Amino acid sequence: MTNQSQQHLDRLFHALSDSTRRAIVMRLSEGPASVTELSKPFEMAMPTLLQHIRVLEDSGLVGTHKAGRVRTCEIKQEAFAATQTWLEKQRSIWESRLDRFEAYAASLHAKENNHGKRKIKL
Amino acid sequence: MANAKSNFDPSLDLELIRFTKLPRALLWRCWTEPEHLMPWFCPVPWKTIECEIDLRPGGVFSSTMLSPEGEKFPNMGCYLEVVKHEKLVWTDALLPGYRPSEKPFMTAVLTFEDHPDGTKYVARALHKSGEDRKKHEDMGFEHGWGTVWEQLLVYAAKMK
Repeated sequence: MTNQSQQHLDRLFHALSDSTRRAIVMRLSEGPASVTELSKPFEMAMPTLLQHIRVLEDSGLVGTHKAGRVRTCEIKQEAFAATQTWLEKQRSIWESRLDRFEAYAASLHAKENNHGKRKIKL
Repeated sequence: MANAKSNFDPSLDLELIRFTKLPRALLWRCWTEPEHLMPWFCPVPWKTIECEIDLRPGGVFSSTMLSPEGEKFPNMGCYLEVVKHEKLVWTDALLPGYRPSEKPFMTAVLTFEDHPDGTKYVARALHKSGEDRKKHEDMGFEHGWGTVWEQLLVYAAKMK
């Protein structure tokens, strides 16, 4: 792994290490929400909430944009692409494992058939 | 495990369907006899250096992989279902004797059936459910996505 991707993962894990931030991500996984909407379930000062949102933004998990006086937050799908990559990795592990399995089974089959033939000759 | 198929979650699980001319009994041996599993189980230059199989529900299925750098990666689990020449189910969520393991990762379901051209076999890998995160809101990231991230990291660490 490169240093850069290590740092990126550090930021991701830092962002996810706090229960308030996890709750924000949970809420946003259902769809975009304004900062005001996000603040409702939490009993905390707005600046504190905004700080959490900034950490999430830095991690790349959440994006925000402002329209008029409303700041809307949303999950950035690409941040979760790494999990897709993970599943694809698992698939390729299985694909190549089954390739090797079949190749080995075929060679074992050929070997044992040869043995059988030799036995008949004897 | 009858509902393994209905359990299938495409965002977490894998299904591979294959056909081969080789007979079921031979394929079965390659998955259930250490001597015939170790040669192919992991990709070169990695090596499978140990393998233990006790072919019964609750029996051990373990393997140890050796990285090119000489680091050992043991995998320990147990069988859940063993139907000779037909079906093999194992998991690392349970250790031999069904004791829960520290870090569950997957359950694998292999099925073999006769096919006009030889054998059809299906491999399913079921991974830890993302549903956990809805059930346990607070701990969601530990049990849902968190697990996936963690697995990703462990895997990435091995690959570097």
